[in-house]
Amino acid sequence: MEESGRRRRRLIAALIAAAGAVFFLGRFFRPLTRTAEVRLDVPREPVPADGALVYARARVALVRDGDRIQALDLTCTHLGCTVTVTPTELVCPCHGSRFDRKGKVLEGPAQRPLKQLRLEEREDRWVVTV
Amino acid sequence: MSFVREFIAHLFPRVVRRNDLKLTYTFCLGGLAFTAFLLLMASGLLLLFYYQPTAEGAFASILFLEEQVAGGKYLRSLHRLSSHALLILLFLHTLRVIWTGAYRPPRQLNWLIGFALLCLALFAGYTGYLLPMDQLALWATQTGMELLHTLPGGGILHAFLVPDGIGGSLSLLRFYALHIVVLPAAMLILISLHFYRVRKDKGVLPYL
Repeated sequence: MEESGRRRRRLIAALIAAAGAVFFLGRFFRPLTRTAEVRLDVPREPVPADGALVYARARVALVRDGDRIQALDLTCTHLGCTVTVTPTELVCPCHGSRFDRKGKVLEGPAQRPLKQLRLEEREDRWVVTV
Repeated sequence: MSFVREFIAHLFPRVVRRNDLKLTYTFCLGGLAFTAFLLLMASGLLLLFYYQPTAEGAFASILFLEEQVAGGKYLRSLHRLSSHALLILLFLHTLRVIWTGAYRPPRQLNWLIGFALLCLALFAGYTGYLLPMDQLALWATQTGMELLHTLPGGGILHAFLVPDGIGGSLSLLRFYALHIVVLPAAMLILISLHFYRVRKDKGVLPYL
């Protein structure tokens, strides 16, 4: 009787300690710096009609579609390789996913469209943020 | 320390039956895997003196080790080959255990410990893969981490392992910490338990 009570108290204390530890560690491993990350900051150049400016290192392409210009994230949504920009579409060299110039999937294995990034014109620069 | 001495003393059986020494039953695969693990610890300890776990300095420190350090290239190759050997031997050891039915009661707990060790060894290999920070390391880790999202709760794991993306300094540091402290420590504890259970289960012979 007394023994089982002691055991229960010990178990409850252990559970509370474990929950506290999980909570603290969860907070500890997630640092707070989640500001808008600047992916690209380059001098502004005109985007050719029906063409694109490709910045492979930053994994960003500025694609013109009529008079709209949008920034596409070149990270393939399948396994994260960098997709190649061709005149008509975007192709992933790793597993052959194909996307159209708006980032929509034409052919798998990728299932989600390419991410669109925020494009801003600051003075005479293109700035792309996530 | 007396605990460690006691532990080691009890690892060795009081008597050894002739049948226990038959090579063709275990093929020494577990022992060989442990040898590979010891080699990894020794070579890794030496690599520790040259490797720099920063996004900018990692690859340069590998080049320095290979080109300017006597035996550096040899040590790095030894570490890499031992890691391959460890995984191959663990896999074969697992197969042997399945074939001889050594997973059956009363050894079921040791089977679970062994399986955990196999998973930890794979994860240790995976975390080590990123550390050179060359193209191969980067893309292999990129694709592997992307695969996490297919798991339930994969997003949380992803945020824990690569908080600032592949190639980020925090991510590299976390892989490094896992690779040189967390995983080896966990493996050492489980290896000790594994050997202890072998002794408790009266050696490796099938129960007749």
